Amino acid sequence: MFFQQLVNGVTLGATYALIALGYTMVYGIIQLINFAHGEVYMIGAFVGLIMVAVYKVNFFIALLAAMAVCIPLAVLIERVAYRPLRNSTRLAPLISALGVSIFLQTLVTLIKGDPNPLGFPHVIQDTVYALGPVKFSLIQVVILIVASLLMVFLEITVKYTKIGKAMRATSEDYETANLMGINVNHVVSFTFAAGAALAAAGGVLVGMYFNSINPFMGVTVGLKSFCAAVVGGIGSIPGAMLGGLLLGIAEVFGVAAGFDTYKEAISFGLLIIILLFRPTGLLGHPIQRKV
Amino acid sequence: MRKRIYLFALVALLAVALLAAGCGGSKDAPKAAGGDTIKIGFLGGKTGAHAHYGIETLKGMQMAVDDINKAGGVLGKKLEIVEGDHGSNSSEAANVTQKMITQKVVAIVGDPTTGITKTAAQICQPAKVVLLSAGAVGTGVVEIGDYIYRDTLLDAVAAPAVTKYLSEELKWKKVALVTTTGLSYSESLTAIFKPALAKYGVEIVAEQSIMEKDTNFSAQVTSLSQKSFDGVIFTGYYTEGALFMKEMRKQGLNQVMAGGDGLLGQELYQLGEKAVEGSMVYAGFAVDSKNAVGITKEFIDKYQAKNNNSKPDMFAAQGYDAVMMLAEAMKKANSADPTVFKEALAKTKDFKGVTGTITFDANREPIKSPVYLQEVKNSEFVVKTVIPTA
Amino acid sequence: MEGVLSILTNPYYNQVLTMMGIFLIAALGLHLITGVTGQFSFGHAAFLSIGAYSSALMTIYLHTPFFLNMLVGGLLAALFGILLGIPSMRLTGDYLGITTLGFGEIVRIVFINTKITGGAMGLGGIPKETNIAIVYILVVLTVFSLYRIQNSRFGRALAAIREDEIAAETMGINVYWYKIKAFAVGTFFAGVSGALFAHMMQYLNPSDFGFSRSFDILNFVVLGGLGSIPGTILGTAVLSLAPEFLRFVKEYRMLIYGALMILMMIFRPYGLLGNVDLVRVFRSLRSRGAGKGTVSGDS
Repeated sequence: MFFQQLVNGVTLGATYALIALGYTMVYGIIQLINFAHGEVYMIGAFVGLIMVAVYKVNFFIALLAAMAVCIPLAVLIERVAYRPLRNSTRLAPLISALGVSIFLQTLVTLIKGDPNPLGFPHVIQDTVYALGPVKFSLIQVVILIVASLLMVFLEITVKYTKIGKAMRATSEDYETANLMGINVNHVVSFTFAAGAALAAAGGVLVGMYFNSINPFMGVTVGLKSFCAAVVGGIGSIPGAMLGGLLLGIAEVFGVAAGFDTYKEAISFGLLIIILLFRPTGLLGHPIQRKV
Repeated sequence: MRKRIYLFALVALLAVALLAAGCGGSKDAPKAAGGDTIKIGFLGGKTGAHAHYGIETLKGMQMAVDDINKAGGVLGKKLEIVEGDHGSNSSEAANVTQKMITQKVVAIVGDPTTGITKTAAQICQPAKVVLLSAGAVGTGVVEIGDYIYRDTLLDAVAAPAVTKYLSEELKWKKVALVTTTGLSYSESLTAIFKPALAKYGVEIVAEQSIMEKDTNFSAQVTSLSQKSFDGVIFTGYYTEGALFMKEMRKQGLNQVMAGGDGLLGQELYQLGEKAVEGSMVYAGFAVDSKNAVGITKEFIDKYQAKNNNSKPDMFAAQGYDAVMMLAEAMKKANSADPTVFKEALAKTKDFKGVTGTITFDANREPIKSPVYLQEVKNSEFVVKTVIPTA
Repeated sequence: MEGVLSILTNPYYNQVLTMMGIFLIAALGLHLITGVTGQFSFGHAAFLSIGAYSSALMTIYLHTPFFLNMLVGGLLAALFGILLGIPSMRLTGDYLGITTLGFGEIVRIVFINTKITGGAMGLGGIPKETNIAIVYILVVLTVFSLYRIQNSRFGRALAAIREDEIAAETMGINVYWYKIKAFAVGTFFAGVSGALFAHMMQYLNPSDFGFSRSFDILNFVVLGGLGSIPGTILGTAVLSLAPEFLRFVKEYRMLIYGALMILMMIFRPYGLLGNVDLVRVFRSLRSRGAGKGTVSGDS
């Protein structure tokens, strides 16, 4: 029972982590809470569904197609709604992000015709593997593998490539990076693209796992993933992974322990408690106040 | 310099907005005074999270209005629908209800949900406009006043009848009860099922709660897998119901579920696929086109002809009946004045609607008969049994 | 004149304007927290719900007079504001924002799980006590008291905190306590607004107070012009009337609403009245009228 719930929690946490990475990277570089990120995830799920249901492609092609749509979308959102506001107050891009979020939810609802959820065709068999008393379904295995691969890939990109170095430099100090000849606009675009790719993958995986997608699915998952990013320490990539897993496990065990009616509150409660003791999250750097 | 331009632009914008509002008001006035049509309001979300119910209710209403107008209208006048979309938001619902009343609607059909119906009822009652909800099932609705009605199958009537069937015919002795917390429909239904289950000797061996819009039920199902039971009583909506059953099958549990009309919707088997085969849903309306007769069959056929062969759901049918009942009350009272025809509406007895027979009792609560217990078979709702309630 | 009369007698205009006034009081409260003091709060709707439910329960079960209930609703909201403020005012910026957002969601979920508030089924049977006159008298009182606060020693201290916390601290302002006080006053107005909302709608449901309501109110404050009372009034007016004016576009309404939010921010990132000093504009207009034609400098 315990290990079974742990498996459920880790799978859920892995999807939170995928989405949380997008929040954390963007925040690390331009200090913006990208509230439209949840909608990118939602659109990723819809693209995946269309590919699988209409074009009958296999799961990996659908995953790539969702990424291919979401990457330009996220870059476009940044260009239109955030870049003109980069030097204004902190709240202006936030409101703009909310505008994007409402716009995309309504757009998808209008194209779809109604806000009702759609199911996801079976692209992965319902095979169940037993490891002692613990059961893994194939889809859980796929989620864990794909999520881990993407995260490792991201970590390598950030650590060892030129653009990754530029990202770290920009995140450290935007102004100085700009002065040192780094094209920060490219870095920001790349960050949005990378976040969108992960969110799109998250959308397709969640769509398959829970079998239901709808135009408003990005809202709660987005908020919870953002919580995960903050819990782990926003701006920190390992932090987002840790935060996602922690929240997923906490949620599953909270429900199992009988706090099912307070399920939605578990993430937020955990967030507040952690922030009170570690004001910048588990793996976040302390804020330095400059005079 | 630029500041002033903005300011002027702003003032100009406001002026235009006010003008538009003024014009809007004056345009409405003569229409109402002319009174060549009888206006019926539609209250519901055409946008927002609960838009589906609103859209379907409106489709049903429009069919009824078309049918009535083709047959010559009511009292020599044509019926006209005034749409009030509230985007599934309660404060906007209050605004738009008030707006429809100023547009001189004699009655409002809606809202499909209990909460917003209550908000609207508080406005309709003092304004002396009839409100006929085609979806509200919760308590405390018609108690608001004598202008407030509904044409839904009440769970307080149906759930005990269904429980009796489950216990006596299907021999269910142990059940798991699953409630969607935060959803008033589900919580009320659970509160009705509990005493009914006790009365017919069915034991609740496990209780689980889920949340609306949840997609992950692995924790709840894992807990259920520790118990043995004959079936699941599921009091929530179809989305969660379908996904819950899928998770059960995923974890190797094979029991079927039974639940109320919140589960009735083609989404149940579209989402649930094989996992919901055998699941049972009771409702006052059966979409089983093969076995339907009379006006119900006509309604289903007409709806399918208009909507690309997709099947009508309960909301469309109740929206249709709501308009028909209003029209009949107006004819009987020989008046389109809500203060007059509401008396006739209250006396509605054995009204033959597409959703069965409707009678209003002394408290203006609808008594509908029969209850259709339907089963999912090969991705379709098929009537399993018809349980008379009256 | 006729137009004004029709607004007062037409129940639809009356309803829309009353709702606008109710949300204006809440927005003015948030204006003090976010606009004047510069502290993010993404959970303002929670304080509305505390004021709404507590005053409604008092009206229903204790039959105490409405004005007392409204006051208690406001004070209770302020109490929760202080209780939330004590731990969280040590956080800054977005961290504070996300904490208040989390608090807002927790409050909503607690109301869903509480018996006396009717849980998810909502609380009905609240008598109607709110009307347009009461609302606008309170709006005037709120605006007046906020002007007094902003132009007092306290208000200037809050503005100093917004501009530079460290500088404010070195000037001898106890930044932490001033923030909590600002939070208490702001949430008091939210509680009052909630009480008015409860006695206007006569039915309450926890879903009326989700985070989208909090962000709506934040929009009112930011879009009109952060830190300006006329800006908050204008923002609330434009955004609460916009959905009504946009009715004719039917299902495209929210699409346009979302697009408008983006466009307004891009073209007026400081809000409609941000950086516009109304007194100066008024003076320059008057002096132009006198034939002098001086224009205030652009920034």
